[in-house]
Amino acid sequence: MAYIEARKMSFTYPKGKRPVINDISIKVFQKDITAITGHNGGGKTTLGKLLGGILKPLNGSVLICGRNSKDLSLGQIGKKIGYLFQNPSRQIFTSKVEEEILFISRLKKQPMTRAQREMEEILRFFDLYCKKDEYTFNLSYGEKQRLALGAILVNRPEFLILDEPTTGLDKLRKDTLSEYLIELNSKGVGMIIISHDMDFINTHASRRIEVEGGRIIYDER
Amino acid sequence: MMKDRALDPRTKLIIVMSISSLSVFIREPKYLIAILVIALFVSKMMKSEIFMILKKLRRILSLFMAMVLIQSLFIKGGNPIIALGEITLLTDVGILRALEFLIRISIILLSASILMTSSSRELLQGLIEWRIPYEIAFMVSVGIRFLPLLREEIEDTLTAVQLRGIDMEKLTLKEKIHLYSNIFTPVVTGAILKSQSLSIAMESRGFRAYNHRTSYLKLRMKARDYLISSFSILVSILIACLYILR
Repeated sequence: MAYIEARKMSFTYPKGKRPVINDISIKVFQKDITAITGHNGGGKTTLGKLLGGILKPLNGSVLICGRNSKDLSLGQIGKKIGYLFQNPSRQIFTSKVEEEILFISRLKKQPMTRAQREMEEILRFFDLYCKKDEYTFNLSYGEKQRLALGAILVNRPEFLILDEPTTGLDKLRKDTLSEYLIELNSKGVGMIIISHDMDFINTHASRRIEVEGGRIIYDER
Repeated sequence: MMKDRALDPRTKLIIVMSISSLSVFIREPKYLIAILVIALFVSKMMKSEIFMILKKLRRILSLFMAMVLIQSLFIKGGNPIIALGEITLLTDVGILRALEFLIRISIILLSASILMTSSSRELLQGLIEWRIPYEIAFMVSVGIRFLPLLREEIEDTLTAVQLRGIDMEKLTLKEKIHLYSNIFTPVVTGAILKSQSLSIAMESRGFRAYNHRTSYLKLRMKARDYLISSFSILVSILIACLYILR
């Protein structure tokens, strides 16, 4: 069964004159690492947000684990899917680095000893442990990218949608991210990677989809 | 019906200033209702998008209602309507003050909807042609532009929180307060940092490089603008006099 399925999905932004996504039908499986590529403005990010249930299609439907995304709240989607935004600043919402990882555990009143341990593991893995007491506003783009990714992964999602995950990462950090994604995929975490980084895509993707003018023009494993 | 584009932005500023000054100055519900009716009429004549504004504000409607409730509960003068033993909970004066607050907020929202029929660039030009220093007029215009940005920032933050598996609807009031108090600082800091970047970008593009700026956009008050502006000021003075001499 497909983890995410889009059926004849179309989408136009409010006050937009033409559809950004036009009559797309697609099945995405958890076993795959699916790459979405295409030129700027082709509809990659919008497609990612529709498949991740953040945007709801105007026509057609998106099924996440068999349930229509229109019937799922963002909270319900967030328990299953981890979404990394193109601009990491938009999803970092605490003042301190450490707090970004711990915030949800605190809010959910989870045991803090375990949350603290996980926070340390994640920050060490993403090479941010030395910055744990720093303000998130002072981080570089690459550091924010790693922090946002770490904050998503601490939630242990079943599926990841990563929008330009390698932007701002140096070679060393990109390799570390690669290793981590391979490990996650081997544990059964499905992924959609939206990227222009063809080297990264060729290394990881088991399926590549190309989007242009809101339509899929290429889809091959 | 008037074409909204036909009116000079300065005329709209005068109308809005007249209406909102009256709403702040007057403290009696029947006068406030009259001003509300006038504001509604003017807003309708300008073809402003009142319903779109109300739709956008529906999320903070509960906040408005909470403010109305708090206003009515914390004013102790007048005759008690609801009391628990010795403790007065609600008085007639409390209800009147809350009603005044609600009408006043509605008038200000309607005034804002009138201003929104002009672009921020036109309003800025209106202020400049009133000889308000460009820096101050620009600050006002940027301030107006920043409000939707701040809203966007809050929306993004709430989306990010929910995408981490938090169901906002299932949070208790205490948890919601905890959440909002935690995200308040980063949201405000984010907006300040954005304004800092904007100021650097502007300076690097020669903002304030010369003392005098020229402008491609020129506004011209027509006879109708003078007539409507004078009428607005006169009616405001008349209502204020009637209120004082009542």
